[in-house]
Amino acid sequence: MKNLPLPNRDPTDPKNRPLIPNPFEEFEIHTFAKAEIPLDRIVESMEVVMDEIRRGYEKLLEEEAKELVWMVQYNTIIKAYEVAEKYVKEIRYCAEDIEDFCFALENTQRIPYLIPGPAGLYISALCNYVQEEEILLKLSELKTEINLLGFRLPKGKRLIIEGDTGDFTGIGVEGGELVVEGGAKNWTGAGMRSGKILVKKNIGLHTGEWMMGGEIHVGGRVRGLGNIVEGKVFEREKLVYPGKVRYPNSYY
Amino acid sequence: MDKEHHQAILEKIWPTVKKKHLYPEIPMPRVGELAGSEEGEGSKDEGVGLEMKEKQMTLNSTFLSNVKGRMPEEQVIEALLDHGITHYTFCPWDFHTHVALYSQAKKVMGDKTLAKRAANYFIDVVSDTHCVKKRFSDIPELHRTLKKGKVEEVIACLYQQIWGVDLGFSRSGKSGKGYDDVVRRLARIPYLDRSRWHESIQKFSRTMKPLLMEEQQEEGSQGGKGEPNPQGEHDLNNYSYEEIDEGLRECANDKMALSEFREMVEDFSEELKEAGYGMEGGMGRGRGTAIDADVLFYMKLAENYAIPLRKVLLEEKGTLHPHSHAPWEVGSPYQDVDIWTSFGKIMPGITQVWKKKQGKGKGKLDGTPDCLIAIDSSGSMINPRKSLSYAVLGAACATNAYLRNGSKVGVYNFSDAPMGGKDVLDYTNKREAIYRVLCKYFGGGTALDLDDLVPLIRNRKNLDLFIITDMKITNIEALISYFAQIENRITAVHIGENPYAARFEKAIGKRTNINIFTVKRKEDIPNIILGKIREYFHSSH
Repeated sequence: MKNLPLPNRDPTDPKNRPLIPNPFEEFEIHTFAKAEIPLDRIVESMEVVMDEIRRGYEKLLEEEAKELVWMVQYNTIIKAYEVAEKYVKEIRYCAEDIEDFCFALENTQRIPYLIPGPAGLYISALCNYVQEEEILLKLSELKTEINLLGFRLPKGKRLIIEGDTGDFTGIGVEGGELVVEGGAKNWTGAGMRSGKILVKKNIGLHTGEWMMGGEIHVGGRVRGLGNIVEGKVFEREKLVYPGKVRYPNSYY
Repeated sequence: MDKEHHQAILEKIWPTVKKKHLYPEIPMPRVGELAGSEEGEGSKDEGVGLEMKEKQMTLNSTFLSNVKGRMPEEQVIEALLDHGITHYTFCPWDFHTHVALYSQAKKVMGDKTLAKRAANYFIDVVSDTHCVKKRFSDIPELHRTLKKGKVEEVIACLYQQIWGVDLGFSRSGKSGKGYDDVVRRLARIPYLDRSRWHESIQKFSRTMKPLLMEEQQEEGSQGGKGEPNPQGEHDLNNYSYEEIDEGLRECANDKMALSEFREMVEDFSEELKEAGYGMEGGMGRGRGTAIDADVLFYMKLAENYAIPLRKVLLEEKGTLHPHSHAPWEVGSPYQDVDIWTSFGKIMPGITQVWKKKQGKGKGKLDGTPDCLIAIDSSGSMINPRKSLSYAVLGAACATNAYLRNGSKVGVYNFSDAPMGGKDVLDYTNKREAIYRVLCKYFGGGTALDLDDLVPLIRNRKNLDLFIITDMKITNIEALISYFAQIENRITAVHIGENPYAARFEKAIGKRTNINIFTVKRKEDIPNIILGKIREYFHSSH
């Protein structure tokens, strides 16, 4: 028998491929409909905001790192606050984001540096620029007492802090109302111009140093008053400044 | 009558539910009567709907009858099953995660009952949210149906917000008290992100703390009995003994400090006793009276280390021979698995382990002698009940190694032995008794009394010695000269580097029956080789 020449077929042409059944045909790729619940959206947007807040804080630290030792001085505070303000203004956030940031500061995996001075100023800037008029920060479980909270709290804002605060609480308050549900340390209300500071428990030394106006109400004991220019200080609803009873930095 | 009816529904829908959850390995649930449930529409609450005990889910027939008018029984059963299965497949998943979540909650709540409650609520929120997101479930409908207290109302408001379904609750709450800020805070927790559960439960507990405290106070004024959780309580009954054992091992190994572990064991002491942990009569199975958390910590931590033990030629003892097969259980060690009869699979029901028995041979065979452990508990050593003591851990690992080979262990715990600062335990194979003596701390000076030691060693031809100390022993010369006289295998472990250890090492010189190891970190412990005789070792290689 004579061999017939094979027809010249192009193997790349799909028509010329032999009809072999696909052995994996029965194994269909099973895809589940990816259900989305509002929680996903809430968490995602919260993460975006938290990243922005964190970045702002890191930038502030970068700027402040140039000063090897962070001293609480008038110029240092003003400069750092201005830097903080610059970053904070660009972020859209809410009061809960500020609270989350305070706790994130203690989580070293998320934010490696907690420097109480700049951190307090940054949180103050966040409070001063948040949309809400009343801000409630539940910080009673926070292990660190943050300094400088309530710095330059403007008129129309009410900041309530559950827990204790550190030094320089409510310095330079500009008409806002600061409520500390716990106690506060030294130099509270220093240089405040107007507004009200209410500390439910005890307060430290130099209270109201260079205070220019406003009122400080203390539910517990005032350990010592500072050199007050103008304004009022109440201890357990009793006016202690202006008055003859108390002298600057007197200890009890 | 109702019970059979519910059982029939359950049997009908179980294959579908199983498929939906990708065939979890849990037994077929059953319908039964659970305690604490009152029948009738008029009762204040529906009672408990689901109980889980060692992976067995039991649906409460009374509960199902109580909610019948408000939701079809089939849907209730499916929702309860979805919830129960998710506890096994997602949260808490295992005992270790459960305890870790509880510990985080305790850090915030400060109170055992409140922490347990916070952890339970968190676990439920995570499970239900996972179910709602991943699978079509009637859980929202169940929540719409159930009667609620104040906390449940807040949780329902949270579900509305994070699931995007209407459960018929307003944030102002029935009592008129606003929960808005609580719900807003709760809704920001990434419940489904397992890697952040520790952080999440802390936030959850922080936010819920005032409400939970209020609830506790109300219950206190009503005689201390709160409403049961219709979706079942989460206690250690959910876990098998092996799972608890494995979880405790994990807790001791890397996550918890000794103090945290102790706190956790004390908090769960009732449940652990129920599971079979208890010092009296053995820290093994069976109910006991008290759990020594510190001893349990070292026991579980030591189980994570396996230190090699060189065998010796013994006349009457043989080695352990594989004798028979037994089924493997989750949490049991893998080293005895027979891969041939297990078809290369690690799966309960398929995998088999070898049960070993010690053979008795004529002539000399490789075997393991008994061991005397001498442990220093003087003031220069760490108090094992305050922080992690490498000396106790090392001695515990050595104990395990000898006991595992069927030998007995004696303990000589010394501080200022001539003045009475010592404890001696005769050779025994009772693990907890050995651990109890190992964990004893005297904290005085360091001196050995050879009059105590010699009778324990004399007339015991085949005996290993294991001494663990920082070598700051005042009469070390006496010890060295005694060691020079005996032929027993001696493993000396010194904790940290110091001149005393160097002196000991120098004095021992080239004696082949004594091997010295240094432990500076936990990781050094596996490097110890028990009974390693240089000659013996070299001759066989």
